[in-house]
Amino acid sequence: MYSWLQHKILDLMKVPPEPQPPDGSAGSARVFRSGSNYYRWRMALWFASNFGALILLAVVWSILARPIRVGTPWSRFIAEVLMSVVVTAFLVSAAFTFLQQRMNYELRWYVVTDRCLRVRSGILNVHEITTTFANIQEVRLSAGPLQKVLGLADVEVHSAGGGSGKGSSGSHVARFEGVDNASEIRDFILARLRQYRDSGLGEKDHSSPVAFSDGSQAAAQAILTEARALRAALAQR
Amino acid sequence: MPGAPIPPEIARLERPREELLTWYFLKALATLFAFPVTMVVLYFRYHTMRYKFDEEGIHLSWGILMRHEIMLNYSRIQDIQLHSNVIERWLGLTRIEVQTAAGASDSEMTLEGLPNPEAMRDFLYSRMRGAHTGPPAPSNAAPETLETIFLQVASELRSIREILETRKA
Repeated sequence: MYSWLQHKILDLMKVPPEPQPPDGSAGSARVFRSGSNYYRWRMALWFASNFGALILLAVVWSILARPIRVGTPWSRFIAEVLMSVVVTAFLVSAAFTFLQQRMNYELRWYVVTDRCLRVRSGILNVHEITTTFANIQEVRLSAGPLQKVLGLADVEVHSAGGGSGKGSSGSHVARFEGVDNASEIRDFILARLRQYRDSGLGEKDHSSPVAFSDGSQAAAQAILTEARALRAALAQR
Repeated sequence: MPGAPIPPEIARLERPREELLTWYFLKALATLFAFPVTMVVLYFRYHTMRYKFDEEGIHLSWGILMRHEIMLNYSRIQDIQLHSNVIERWLGLTRIEVQTAAGASDSEMTLEGLPNPEAMRDFLYSRMRGAHTGPPAPSNAAPETLETIFLQVASELRSIREILETRKA
């Protein structure tokens, strides 16, 4: 029943299917998903925000109740209509966001290949970010107290650029939200990142010159073979 | 591949799709009283919007009173983002936001109303820095560095000298 409903909703909203790992990295793709506790975390958030809204509604109601009772029938009618509209809106949004939580948890993919990352999330607003390891600047790991209890953490992978503090929707950030193996993911990304000498912006100081062209190495190799042949020829005489 | 020619269907792209105007209309409606102003702005934005994808990068220009022209090099792309809300998807639209390392907090270039956003994303990705150079082979797998080769050459020459010296003696 649930999967049928979900299928219908996703179809209606034209949510694109699971993302494919980008080209040119055969077999190296690894897909991470949010931990199972992430759903509970989202439900807790949902409950908290709706509970807050409910309290706010009750406060407004109790403040308005006295003036309405003593007011004219006309103002009373207007107030009651307004209140019922607000309550209906609250109930509808609560029900809708409740349904959304599960899908939001299920429709998240964090793809890591040997040269790039792709993070997809969202139902109403679908968001996908692709970036290569060559452009990664830093990796952050964060977890709040409640997330810690649930064994969750967020891994943020930043690429260069002026991503302002716009929170979760901030640009230049690939967020692995609510993963239960955050340190593993971080180590996985860092291990792959380490293979790139020139990742991100800025020069790295090389203690020894490692870079030289293939041509010079081939030339040196040619001298070596020539010297070997010369010695062999001399030794034979 | 960085050197490969641009696929013809991408090189041909110049104008956004017509659905973009529908989306702009809805977007302007959402501004309520400001509708006439925003609609005029967006209408001209749509009609003056031109794309050009060449060997080096993306050119995007729009505007009459406020003329904008952006040129962005493929190799400077930091990340590629795809955004779409429900209404945009109903119209078959997806925004592609291309970010470079310039200091702007919002995306440098938003490509709207492209006919095949997923293919465009893959194309841009294929031109990005680091999309083709996989992780370099670990250096200890190839111990033949220039230094060791020269040392071997020196030892060969030394043994040649020794051979010659013993022969002279």
